[in-house]
Amino acid sequence: MGYFERALVAAVVIGAGAGFVGALVVLRRRTFFAQALTHGTYPGAVAAAALGVSVPAGAAVASVALVAVMAGIARIRRQGAQVAAGIVLTGGFAAGALLQAMIPGLPVQAESLLVGSILTVSDADIVLAASVALISFAAVALVGKEVAFSTFDPAGFRAAGYREWPVELLVLALTAASVVSSLPAVGAILAIALIAAPAAAARLVVGSFRGVLLAAPVIGAAAGVIGVLASRALAVAAGPAIALAATAFFLLALGISKLRGLPWKRVDIPVETAEDARIA
Amino acid sequence: MSLSDALFTAFSIPFMGRALLVMLVLAVVAGVVGVLVNLRGLEFISDGLTHAVFPGLAIGLVLGGTAGLVPGATIAALAGALALTWLDRAGITPDAAIAIVLTATFSVGVIVVSKSDDYAGALEALLFGRVLTIPPDEVAPLVVVSLIALAATALTLKQQLFRAFDARGSRASGNSALALDLVLNGAIALVVVAAASTIGTLLVLALLIVPGAAARLATRRLWWLFPVAALFAAVGSWLGLAAGFALSVGAGFDLPAGATIVGVFVVGYAVVLAASWLVQRARARRNPDTRPPSGGAARPAVAPAVGALGEGR
Amino acid sequence: MTDSPVLRLVDTAFTHPGGAGVGGLRLDIAPGEAVALIGPNGAGKSTLLKGILGLVPRTAGTLEIGGVTGDAQAHARHGIVSFLPQSADLDPDFPISLGQVVMQGRYRGLGLLRWPGRADRAAVRRALTSVGLESLRSRPFGELSGGQRQRGLLARALASDPRLLLLDEPFNGLDQPNRDALVDTIRSLKRDGVAVLVSTHDLELARLVCDSVLLVNRTQVTYGPVDDVLTLGNIQQCFEGVEVEIDEHTLVVPGHEGH
Repeated sequence: MGYFERALVAAVVIGAGAGFVGALVVLRRRTFFAQALTHGTYPGAVAAAALGVSVPAGAAVASVALVAVMAGIARIRRQGAQVAAGIVLTGGFAAGALLQAMIPGLPVQAESLLVGSILTVSDADIVLAASVALISFAAVALVGKEVAFSTFDPAGFRAAGYREWPVELLVLALTAASVVSSLPAVGAILAIALIAAPAAAARLVVGSFRGVLLAAPVIGAAAGVIGVLASRALAVAAGPAIALAATAFFLLALGISKLRGLPWKRVDIPVETAEDARIA
Repeated sequence: MSLSDALFTAFSIPFMGRALLVMLVLAVVAGVVGVLVNLRGLEFISDGLTHAVFPGLAIGLVLGGTAGLVPGATIAALAGALALTWLDRAGITPDAAIAIVLTATFSVGVIVVSKSDDYAGALEALLFGRVLTIPPDEVAPLVVVSLIALAATALTLKQQLFRAFDARGSRASGNSALALDLVLNGAIALVVVAAASTIGTLLVLALLIVPGAAARLATRRLWWLFPVAALFAAVGSWLGLAAGFALSVGAGFDLPAGATIVGVFVVGYAVVLAASWLVQRARARRNPDTRPPSGGAARPAVAPAVGALGEGR
Repeated sequence: MTDSPVLRLVDTAFTHPGGAGVGGLRLDIAPGEAVALIGPNGAGKSTLLKGILGLVPRTAGTLEIGGVTGDAQAHARHGIVSFLPQSADLDPDFPISLGQVVMQGRYRGLGLLRWPGRADRAAVRRALTSVGLESLRSRPFGELSGGQRQRGLLARALASDPRLLLLDEPFNGLDQPNRDALVDTIRSLKRDGVAVLVSTHDLELARLVCDSVLLVNRTQVTYGPVDDVLTLGNIQQCFEGVEVEIDEHTLVVPGHEGH
């Protein structure tokens, strides 16, 4: 398989996986958290590149520490989740910048860590992304009802006797895994585009939880492919092209929803009860 | 290199002295505005604006050299603020809208920069800043932009605090929420413009978030938040520049000054966090019947920690 | 005491952009008069109060505040009218003291540029004393109990020396001592010539403290002195089919048959 074909495969796999998990992120309003992870794992990526190991692996190790730090700061009453995400985002990113400056002769160029380099993606990266995507699909197939319920009615969820933290932990873990596996394609800075834009677009035109979960990965994969093709045709970097393709889908969805006159005001997807939120 | 060399004599060198002046002005302004960012929970929006200026910086650089940076960034910041407002009124959830504006604008910026001759160098300068290479004739515009942001905030300060505390009461007493938000978002945008040209777009957020968060930990008195945040930011900038100097000149590492400053900020935050935790424990031991800070020891440790990551205060 | 009413509504209607609203309003409130605003849930009581504040559009009739209508009204309104909302969604960790919260009530009079001075601090102290919380002035607002917070917000509404005080269901969720304290505050406000418009479910409380009653259910049902208005027939008409608490009993108001 030539490098271009491999890039297209990677675009489909990574786009679909990120789009799918992105649906959970956007619907649960954890976008800033995901953003903090994309930037905060940068030092892990740099360290991995310096040591010659897989970049997502380094990022994954960093993400575990980051999630712990964020959770710790978020529960301090005078601080909270936004402060936690901001601290981790900037602190992690500065650490990565300093690390990168201190290590002479990094095998990878800094930009590829920041804005991605899908044309040089390895088979291992694709396998990792595919695994993360498959695990995400499986997890949601198993506990999608509970995830939907806890997303739309946390108080009712607790009142019905469920505990919130397993669902939350699952979504956080999937988010971290998805961020990490998107890095080779779009890099630390642009990863949030593949996570947020397809899901936000899907949400505008589709009216059910299950629908968003189905549409977002399709849009993500399409954005990936179009981005790679555009990057070749227009001779621009692939990472930004993919991010812009994802944004274009969002704008298209925005236009469609306006034309349709959907009730797209700030109303959550109408799910009345747990029964209605059945996904399986 | 001795400690006093790094902390004091280094700043007699003109470029270091300029860097310190600009940073101190920025620190005070960002500290004050940052308190409002903290009280209103505007951290993510600020992140969006810091990314949104990037294409403005890139295009300004291409079209006008370093003199085009501030105008380019200003146009981009205001456009970004408008886009975010428009999307908000269109009913898109704020966090998804911010993420989209952020990456779209940043992608445009990357593509513009990638067409330039020194791709890597230009990217690095825009991302991490060029505190140490600010030419003398650019100091004045940066200071002016910062002071405008400070004036706008100070003029509306008591109404901003009222709105931050009780949005409904503020409206009921006749204050326009839209006007106050425009002023505050505009001030944030101006701080972003000024800071992005110096410490880089990716590290501006630290300037807006960390001092305010540290001040919240350090004091519970409303009006002390502002001087505490400004002081934290000023001292952090000074120590960050000194540390960068010591490491670069003394130890031979070529570190981006923006990253060292942010590093010092985050370490300083950790120190304040640790100190505040110790103070709380000491107080709790003296008064065993006060409420525990996390509001309930019975729940398992994971649940509130994990649950607290949710957004939307 | 002046002759002109503090508030006058003539065939007034306030309507939300979505369509819901309240109309057919016709009343005068004199200085020192307390009016109870009574009606079932969804009747438009909050809409009426917000309409007086200018937060909901006036779609019919006239609104006169302190004798002023038209363009001058916005400024006059905020010098004359104060509002205590039903419940406040306030962050208990916000680093602000009770005294500072009450001072917010003075901001409207200060405008943009001026900062609080001696007169403002005196007004804050007076307001806190009138609700009995002067000793807690420096306490962080989040550390106060629910009843104390509500009294603190009432003090904020009083700090601007209003001539008309609007209270949106202030008795909800209050325990007996706090209810008594609120009744005393309203009585002393009346003695000082302040007019009060209080929306409430509690008919006995209305009878205890108010001079007149306005019954609404999307439109004005009737308005007049408390003893004239609080009759079984009027209550039936206003609360048709609604559950009402009266004399510590729960009564489901039967609908009219062929009225």
